Amino acid sequence: MVSSTGSSTNFASESLWRRSGRLTFHLLVALSLVAAITFVFFRLIHVNATTVGFSYLIAILVIATLGGLLEASVSSVLAMLCFNFFFFPPVGKFTIADPQNWVALFAFLATALTASQLSARLKRQRKAALDRQREMERLYTLSCAILLTDTKQPTAKQIAHQIAQAFECPALALYDRSSHEVYVAGPEILPNIDAKLRESAVRSSVLHEESGEILITPIRLGREPIGSLAVKHAFMSDAALQSLLNLVAVGLEKARAQEEVNQAQVARQSEELKSTLLDAIAHEFKTPLTSIKAVTTDLLSNPGEPLSQQQRGLVTIADEGVDRLDRLVSEAIQLARIEGGKFKLNRGIHFPRSLLAAALRQTKSLTDGRELKVEAAEGLPLVRVDAELIEMVIAHLIDNAVKYTPQGGPIVVGAHASERGVIIHVTDQGPGISLDEQSRIFDKFYRGSGGEHLKGTGMGLAIAREIVRAHGEEIWVKSSPGKGSEFCFSLPIAPVESAE
Amino acid sequence: MSAGRVLVVDDDPQIRRAMKATLTARGYQVGDARTGEEALDKLRSETYDLVLLDMNMPGGGGMETCRLIRSSSDIAIVMLTVNNTEQDKVEALDAGADDYVTKPYSTPELLARIRATLRRLPQAPDEAGLQQLRLEGVEIDLPSRQITVRGRTSRLTAKEFDLLSYFLMHPNKTIAHRELLQAVWGPDYGDELEYLRVFVNRLRKKIELDRSKPRFLVTDAWAGYRFHLPH
Repeated sequence: MVSSTGSSTNFASESLWRRSGRLTFHLLVALSLVAAITFVFFRLIHVNATTVGFSYLIAILVIATLGGLLEASVSSVLAMLCFNFFFFPPVGKFTIADPQNWVALFAFLATALTASQLSARLKRQRKAALDRQREMERLYTLSCAILLTDTKQPTAKQIAHQIAQAFECPALALYDRSSHEVYVAGPEILPNIDAKLRESAVRSSVLHEESGEILITPIRLGREPIGSLAVKHAFMSDAALQSLLNLVAVGLEKARAQEEVNQAQVARQSEELKSTLLDAIAHEFKTPLTSIKAVTTDLLSNPGEPLSQQQRGLVTIADEGVDRLDRLVSEAIQLARIEGGKFKLNRGIHFPRSLLAAALRQTKSLTDGRELKVEAAEGLPLVRVDAELIEMVIAHLIDNAVKYTPQGGPIVVGAHASERGVIIHVTDQGPGISLDEQSRIFDKFYRGSGGEHLKGTGMGLAIAREIVRAHGEEIWVKSSPGKGSEFCFSLPIAPVESAE
Repeated sequence: MSAGRVLVVDDDPQIRRAMKATLTARGYQVGDARTGEEALDKLRSETYDLVLLDMNMPGGGGMETCRLIRSSSDIAIVMLTVNNTEQDKVEALDAGADDYVTKPYSTPELLARIRATLRRLPQAPDEAGLQQLRLEGVEIDLPSRQITVRGRTSRLTAKEFDLLSYFLMHPNKTIAHRELLQAVWGPDYGDELEYLRVFVNRLRKKIELDRSKPRFLVTDAWAGYRFHLPH
């Protein structure tokens, strides 16, 4: 299919020898026709010059209609020469005796050339119209196919095959930027096309390869390139190519949106499964713990039948064991929930002091008998946090301070305002943390060397860090060996507004 | 004399046994049920003062059982659950529970919760001269614990009754959260703001025409609640 209208461009052309071969053949046929007419009227049937002239004209019209402008023009000149040589006196010479015959001869030439031109133009227009119609049909077929893509194969792969089929491309490659995959279609192979496709998509520019045989063009959605397409011998108009690219862009975007929906659904289902599983595990572990705890606390608190000192000691060991196991299970579940990344912050406006007070209440059993100072300035700004989770962070820090402080050392819990927001700090007089350890202390299951090894779960500080990070804030430690540690974290100040 | 009649509802036999032993030793009369359905049956045929209800049970879960019990009875309900998130607490209280204990619980804590739930206001409102009140389309009948709003009658649970009585004994005065909690639930309480939020909401459902624009039970931001009694 050769489109030769001025308004359209061939992105790849047929090979030169095929075109010139066909032209030579056309010319030979045309010249033979002129020669045949000359022979018939010169040797076989003798008629007057006017009849010969009209016969030549008819032949040239036929040539112009079936062939092209070039064939018709060459035939016109040859016919004029033959007309002059064989039929105008003196016959057998290119001279013309009667000046009237000069006029007739040029009138013939002008008529032949004009007729050729008109006929050839008509033919071109008809052909262009046919081409447009075919392109439209192909684009329509393609758009139907893109609408009907299924989910069994990648959409980009299906689109590539549909284009190759609809446009009879010998070779085609489609690059989908969202999946970074290249899909090829058609019987031929495009060598080393991957890098060029990526380049075209990244630079959002059209590339031509191998003397214009292969066109590589970006596929854009709005201004954003979302992929690229390489085609060999894409005989189509600019407008058709643009429509094709738009269709592919819409098809790829539709597939991407669908994929996102599917992924979100899968993620939600897996999150639901995880949550259900965690609840089940929590229940399974906590049920036996509950009956043990009920028994130990009952024995320890029953005033009717007090235990002997030895019995009390033994039951206390069991009771502490239950507490430890319970904390381990609770913290493992907390960490798993928080690390799932899907927990929702239930932010509200709170007084920093009430957060401290709530955390201190929660840890009352740990801090009983310890020297504990609370340093919270009056008039601190309100903070916008998930109170339940932040109280958990403070409780973990207090728990940590208690664990790593030798009996009797004071623990200070406080809050102050700074440029970064409200800072909560928990300070102990423990053995301190070396610089090397400071970098690892918030890691999961890391346990400091200075404390009572058995009591920690190694999860408290990791949980604290995850919660603080989820608020978009930071947690850090200031410490040096032998001088105690200060754990701090920042809280976001609430915008000024009324609160309950 | 019996300290009270308690129905223990839990699917775990060991927990039921431990609770029965503990409560019986403290002078309670104890019955038990393995499922929500069994609990509902027992409540229909026997008399109890309080239900200890496990939240995670097979079949109709504890939450649903709680709603079913509450729809036909104002018996005291304490829920037990392994989750201690705020959301779970509020959900349990919303379902009609009077209190909430996290598993594993310590026996003294459970006993304290039971006592607090069965505790009544030291001073009965009728002694304070309050019998019946008729306010702008709302009829409050304290002796029969009934409230009628636009012809729709609802009954108050014991804790709701105590809370409303306390409000009525101190009308038009802002009562601090802590004071309310200690007066109605007992001296061990004071920080459980979520209890107040849920119970005030439950009361508003029963006495206000429009719960979102309360006319009687007013929130005083950061300070507490106030019962607005028109003169």
